[in-house]
Amino acid sequence: MPKITFVSPEGGRTTVEASDGDSVMQTALANGVEGIVAECGGAMMCATCHCYVDEDWLARTGTASDEERSMLDFAASEVRPESRLSCQITVTGDLDGLTVHLPDAQI
Amino acid sequence: MCGMAWEGYATMAFAPIDETINIDQLTRDPYSIYRRLRAEAPVVTVKSIGRTLLTKAADTRAVKDNAALFSNNDPNTPMQRAFQAHTLMRKDGEEHMRERMAMTPTFSPANLKTLWIPAYEKLAGEYLDRLPRDEVVDLFPALAGPLAARILAIILGIPDATDEEMQYWSQALIDGAGNFGYADEPFARVDACHAAMNAMVESRVPLLKAEPDQSALSVMINAEDPIPFSQVLANLKIAIGGGINEPRDSLLTVLFGLLTNPDQLDEIKRTGNWSTAFEEGLRWVAPIQASSRCAREDTQIRGVDIRKGEILMTVQASANHDEELFEDGHLYNALRPKSPHQSFGSGPHHCMGTHLARATIGKIMLPMIFERFPDMQLVEPEKVVWWGFGFRGPLSLPVKLN
Ligand code: HEM
Ligand code: HEM
Ligand code: FES
Repeated sequence: MPKITFVSPEGGRTTVEASDGDSVMQTALANGVEGIVAECGGAMMCATCHCYVDEDWLARTGTASDEERSMLDFAASEVRPESRLSCQITVTGDLDGLTVHLPDAQI
Repeated sequence: MCGMAWEGYATMAFAPIDETINIDQLTRDPYSIYRRLRAEAPVVTVKSIGRTLLTKAADTRAVKDNAALFSNNDPNTPMQRAFQAHTLMRKDGEEHMRERMAMTPTFSPANLKTLWIPAYEKLAGEYLDRLPRDEVVDLFPALAGPLAARILAIILGIPDATDEEMQYWSQALIDGAGNFGYADEPFARVDACHAAMNAMVESRVPLLKAEPDQSALSVMINAEDPIPFSQVLANLKIAIGGGINEPRDSLLTVLFGLLTNPDQLDEIKRTGNWSTAFEEGLRWVAPIQASSRCAREDTQIRGVDIRKGEILMTVQASANHDEELFEDGHLYNALRPKSPHQSFGSGPHHCMGTHLARATIGKIMLPMIFERFPDMQLVEPEKVVWWGFGFRGPLSLPVKLN
């Protein structure tokens, strides 16, 4: 099972196991990781699952699509080039070890 | 496809059936009933309403997020009759997405920032200026209702509709959609409103074809591949039915919460955390208290068997008070460490007006009203009546402004 590490705004790291095919958002919720709200449950309607992909991983996760980027404009915290909606990143074996950073606020 | 036979199921594994709760109790005092249900029977079929209520936060959320298993299509409600249409709120999958996406450009962040938020800010100032000083004024009819109506008329692209018309239509749609007794009067009233709404919308079409703008009507009719005009009308009506009373009720609810907790109000004034105060109001009394879904297959929730066709009411009002998530959930507490509520729904039907509501009420109206009227006082708060099962809010908010 691929492992994913969530880094809180204060720097705390939580590493959890993910299931192939789940989104990073689902992985966070399933493991009780705080800091991902995901109000719309992954329908790309809410921008409360915002995360910053660690720079080392950007090449593998890819960057946000145009649609995703326009929804990201609603995000409560600063949007950066490495910003993604975590519901739009699907976990695969390729992403084993992925690290994402959580923003200060989602709402 | 949804709808099931009630007879012939008597096995214990199904949800227990409650024969005591009635709609009148749920309308007056739902929270004490939900508190008991969360403790004793979090999945329960309430006989008088013929539906299975889910009252725990984890269950309401899981059902709404699993649109593949739980459909929005519940044909056995008066909604279709009241709206004279099958609306996006009751559709699933691609059909739902196509109709929803037809309206989303209007609500884009760019439009919010450059058009709707500035428009609201100006209107909010005007409506506040109009309020009489030094006498008791009820903010429900004097501010919250008309202002919600005005901004919505502008965003939808029917600015000629008056505040009174918008509110009357909205209430007629709601009363029709809630007309589970299928009485004649609410349907006759809403039918008359359809004639007026259709005429209003049709009169705007040629203008908006000639000079398109970012309003919902314009965006829908000028799209490259437009949805049928019947669905354009249905979408606008869903927004009219669902875009006035929630902003209205949530504003009144937050004001009530803050004015009855002056120490919290002082702290919010100091920190400027108006958005948190707004979110807490939404949590405390969800303006839309429950949303229905229909099981597409036999399944289980919390170990209880759910039959294909069973109608589940996901009670977000109760989820927002769930003891597993909130301490003293029955109390308004603007200083609560933030906890996610479900008042905007979740899943593919997550409210389209979320960002608009947060920006206008949380970021503009709340700071503005307390800046203008720092000494605003509630008049006899104990006499304010809270009302509603489907939709809920205070029926009045009498205040003295200075
Ligand atoms: C047997 C009686 C009733 C049942 C089973 C019932 C059930 C429901 C259900 C399932 C919803 C839909 C929530 C959703 O999915 O969005 C709803 C909405 C609503 N109900 Fe009722 N209800 C009943 C009686 C009433 C009565 C007597 C009233 C008013 C006096 C009322 C007012 C409303 C309103 C205003 C809504 C929101 C309408 C909307 O969907 O836009 N209901 N009700
Ligand atoms: C505080 C304000 C508001 C609250 C609490 C609220 C709440 C909700 C909820 C709970 C739903 C989901 C119903 C379900 O799951 O069946 C919803 C849907 C919806 N809301 Fe809101 N709403 C608010 C303001 C608005 C405004 C201002 C608009 C329009 C401008 C709006 C437009 C809609 C639409 C179009 C839908 C249907 C979305 C769909 O079915 O895909 N709402 N709202
Ligand atoms: S969960 Fe709503 S956009 Fe990702």
